[in-house]
Amino acid sequence: MGQNLMRNHLRNFGQEVKKNHALFIMVLPAIIAIVVLAYLPMAGLVLAFKNYRFNLGIFGSPWNGLENFRYLFSSGTGWLITKNTILYNLLNLITSQFLAIIIAVFITEIKNKLFKKVSQSLIFLPYFISWVIVGTFVYAIFNYETGMLNSAIKSMGGESVNVYSMPGIWPWIICLFNAWKWCGYNSVIYIAAITGVDAEIYEAADIDGATIFKRIRYITLPCIKPTVITMLLLQVGRVLRGDFEMFYQIVGNNGQLFNATDVIDTYVFRSLLQNANLGMNAAASFYQSLLCFIIIMIVNAVVKRIDSDYALF
Amino acid sequence: MRKRLLSMTLVFTMAVSMLAGCGKASSSDSKATPTGTSVEATEDASATAKLDTSEEVNLVMYVVGDRPAGQDEVDENFNKIIKDKLNCTLTVNWIPWSDFRNKYPLLFSSGEEFDLAYSATWLNFSSLAQQGAFMSLDELWPTYAPKNFARQSESALKQATVNGHYYTVPTLLATYSAYGPVYRTDIMGGTDWAGKMETFQDVEEYCDIVKATHQEMQPLDIYSSGSEWDDTYMYSLGYRSSKGSTNDFLFFDPSQKNPKLFTYYECAQTGDFLEIMNRWNQKGFFSKSALSDTDSTQLQNGKAAMKTHNLDKLADYSRTNPDYKMEYSNFVKNVSHLPYTQDCMVISNTSKNPERAMALWDLLTSDRDVYDAFFYGVLGTTYTLNDKGEYSITDTDLYSPSGMGAVRTTEFNRNAVGTPESYDTWKQTFEDNIASNDTAEKYAGFVLDTSNIATEYAACQSVHQQYWWPLELGYSDAKTGLAEYQKQMEAAGIEKVRVEVQKQLDAYVAGLNK
Amino acid sequence: MVNETMAVRPRKIKLSTSSKVFYVVCYSVISLIALSCLIPFIVLISGSFTSEQYIRFHGYSILPKDFSTQAYQIIFKNPMTILHAYGVSIFITLIGTAMGLLLITMTAYVISRKDFKYRNVLSFFFYFTTLFNGGMVSTYIYYIQYLHLKDSLLALILPGVFNVFYLLIMRSFVSVIPTALIESAKIDGAGEYRIFFQIIWPLLKPGMATVALFLALGYWNDWYNAMLYINSDSKYPLQYMLYNMLQKTQALAQIAGQAGIQVADLPSSSLKLAMAVVATGPIILVYPFVQKFFVKGITIGSVKG
Repeated sequence: MGQNLMRNHLRNFGQEVKKNHALFIMVLPAIIAIVVLAYLPMAGLVLAFKNYRFNLGIFGSPWNGLENFRYLFSSGTGWLITKNTILYNLLNLITSQFLAIIIAVFITEIKNKLFKKVSQSLIFLPYFISWVIVGTFVYAIFNYETGMLNSAIKSMGGESVNVYSMPGIWPWIICLFNAWKWCGYNSVIYIAAITGVDAEIYEAADIDGATIFKRIRYITLPCIKPTVITMLLLQVGRVLRGDFEMFYQIVGNNGQLFNATDVIDTYVFRSLLQNANLGMNAAASFYQSLLCFIIIMIVNAVVKRIDSDYALF
Repeated sequence: MRKRLLSMTLVFTMAVSMLAGCGKASSSDSKATPTGTSVEATEDASATAKLDTSEEVNLVMYVVGDRPAGQDEVDENFNKIIKDKLNCTLTVNWIPWSDFRNKYPLLFSSGEEFDLAYSATWLNFSSLAQQGAFMSLDELWPTYAPKNFARQSESALKQATVNGHYYTVPTLLATYSAYGPVYRTDIMGGTDWAGKMETFQDVEEYCDIVKATHQEMQPLDIYSSGSEWDDTYMYSLGYRSSKGSTNDFLFFDPSQKNPKLFTYYECAQTGDFLEIMNRWNQKGFFSKSALSDTDSTQLQNGKAAMKTHNLDKLADYSRTNPDYKMEYSNFVKNVSHLPYTQDCMVISNTSKNPERAMALWDLLTSDRDVYDAFFYGVLGTTYTLNDKGEYSITDTDLYSPSGMGAVRTTEFNRNAVGTPESYDTWKQTFEDNIASNDTAEKYAGFVLDTSNIATEYAACQSVHQQYWWPLELGYSDAKTGLAEYQKQMEAAGIEKVRVEVQKQLDAYVAGLNK
Repeated sequence: MVNETMAVRPRKIKLSTSSKVFYVVCYSVISLIALSCLIPFIVLISGSFTSEQYIRFHGYSILPKDFSTQAYQIIFKNPMTILHAYGVSIFITLIGTAMGLLLITMTAYVISRKDFKYRNVLSFFFYFTTLFNGGMVSTYIYYIQYLHLKDSLLALILPGVFNVFYLLIMRSFVSVIPTALIESAKIDGAGEYRIFFQIIWPLLKPGMATVALFLALGYWNDWYNAMLYINSDSKYPLQYMLYNMLQKTQALAQIAGQAGIQVADLPSSSLKLAMAVVATGPIILVYPFVQKFFVKGITIGSVKG
């Protein structure tokens, strides 16, 4: 019975290949590349479950079950850092994509070619400034004694504010800097999507006397819907991964802010700073991967139910 | 269209094959070096004569640091010397400062063949040793480096032991647990500073004067690596940290017969300390945002006037900023030697010539000329000596002392030109102190093994950084902050840690009293 | 044809008030955002031309207050190093982008074809690798021992050549192209390769420009692979040199002088900024160049006619 099923599958597969053999050949290099570059090294995932011994290597080391995962969950930290990571990613996802869409729509509506070109290039600049340097700028703005913020407040007659002891405000600061850094990069995708829209449709709308708002609402936005959904899904698939550099450079070692700004990546970094335990490191990464996997499978299935064209797979 | 496709495919394939060729060419260079003949390891002290040097061998050593531009000259000169003596050459590979955190553990897990490497407490030596990263030296060391082995102190040997075996050759350079203010005295000219620096009260008076006369400065150099004034305070009371270094959360009193471990919140004097730090915070002795400040050069750059650290900082700052007239004061009540594993040498499991490597190490630590050639380079070209035997690098853009700090010995180590006279005097004072009072010194051999409590220890470390660092700087309220710190430590598993460490400490004390 | 005459007709329609307000909002919002992106960059550049002393005591400013080119002098003291680094960066960016673009576009096309039965299976197969990866240790051992890529430029190109995110973004661009086009081409007797290169390819200009830009940026900014795999001085790309400089200070600050050995002089703030300017350099010009591919109104209709 099982054998028949196998043979049927193989026969269907054979037929499919014969039907679309050119397509199969076209996709073959990518398959080879992904197997060689990504799937083969994936065997190292077992490191998360091993009591790693340097002299025995990854595969020779003994298993130790879930022991490497314990440090992530001791005293309730696991819940806190997971919650923070997810919330930050959702907040950043919504704000940065929203900002990118607005920028893209506005820029494509602007008529002046020079203004368009110059502003597009300028908006891209933050992407090139590394977080290390952004971190020093953040410190230059918010530090208590000589920061630009406090200098401005003092010059207006107010009292200095110690921003670094106010954890509640930092999620917004981080969100702001994240949006600022990525707005140019993200907007490119949407600008490209909007300019890919068939010109005929726009011309037809003009003839019908559509206003700008109607045009944006009924043509531009729907046409970039597939791109928006793809981008949102891709970001959701990374919802457990934090941008370590961003958090580390902005927050530093300021413990007062940790409860509000600690994400999985920064917590792991601090915990393992004095303990070169490769298994524990791998366990944290596996935990993130597993949660991302579960979440994206669920979300993708939901999207598929609504409209199967928009799902990732 | 077809022509464009054809040309693109040609470019594609050419690129791939060219790059594949690049890859292959370099991989053939990393083939294994020819193996030296293995010699039967015996306890015989004259075994160096048994070392078979008939085959020329290339040893590979890894150090941490940025490779100086002119290093080739130093390597060439050194190789000439050891080719003569041991029929071998040495290739030194440098792991840049920016990469060491990632590349150092990778070095030992990748199976790459090399012989020697630098290690240190800040490179997580004990944690790596516990996980089997290094070759056991039980027989190699006494056999092929007998001179080095004989000179090691008892505590050094204990520190080199992990799970009952030797896994490293610690440095033979004595360093001291002395800790205290390193401060500028040039800015005190024209003020009514008494010149005394023995207590925390003195520190406060000094800072008051700095604050009054130099508004652009913040008296204390504190930044994102945390404050060490808490450790200084505990040491000044005579307490010792369980792991033998700063940033610890378990202390004990070495003058007790059976010392019991305690935390900050169980220590009677913590309240006083927090009061002091709170006052210093109010007075503006350091930035209220210090923990987010990544600038580690405040003192050198003239933004701060004082830092608490060990004696070597005095030498460093005096050399880079002689006009500051730096001075030092030790606040530690009972000085002891710092662990000799601060700088140490390890041999890789993948080494094909551990005997020759060990013999080279013996040569380096016992032969003055070989040491100088390795550590400082070529006399006259890369460095010069003055009549006191102090060295000075000729061109700091091209040369620098070796990154293998572990090779230094108390006898061979040279001071840099510009080191103040007081440096050596201080060292002598510390040696005398230790000789007459071994209250802390007898614990120098105590090495903490965290393998049974790895999870809890990591969690406690994390909590300590999150709750204690702001608390000790007066950023959070002393009473509620301390209570919160206690609550979080208990949740992280401090009790389990304490029980385990106490067990090890008791066993160590029992061993002492035998 | 119909579209051309329409495009030539000049706009004489008067704008309503609400449209005028909209345009004002457009211009002001974009100007504001562009300014907030420009100013930090100007501060960065002016900081690189400021003396170190001034930065230490007075912080950053928009115009260089104490002008000094010392930072750049230090960087270009050994011009061969920088030239080599530029060469490596440009080389791997060009090759990597070309290889990646071809691979990604071709694959995206195939998995967007509704009549390709295994498109969802393949999409998942590719996407899975973004969720799970073997980790630094495993990948490192694999590249060094099994692929023999130690100290090879290929190790800088291969890891990023097939980026699944870009693949899926490209797929969303391809999916906008109507299937009717492909069907009519097939009816006309065109083979798959011809359809791809002659029909699909020209219509994907914005999408390909976007992915090419992202690939180029990714390769230009990558320091991670260089850190892991490269040992020879002549093979380090520009971004790694910047990373080296920036992280050195951090690393040394973290170990807080625990190292008993003497540590070399740390790079100053202005030096770091100057290196950032040098390392960013030419890539800024790529985006304006790519913008000309964002041409509004691809006349798909003309192909139909």
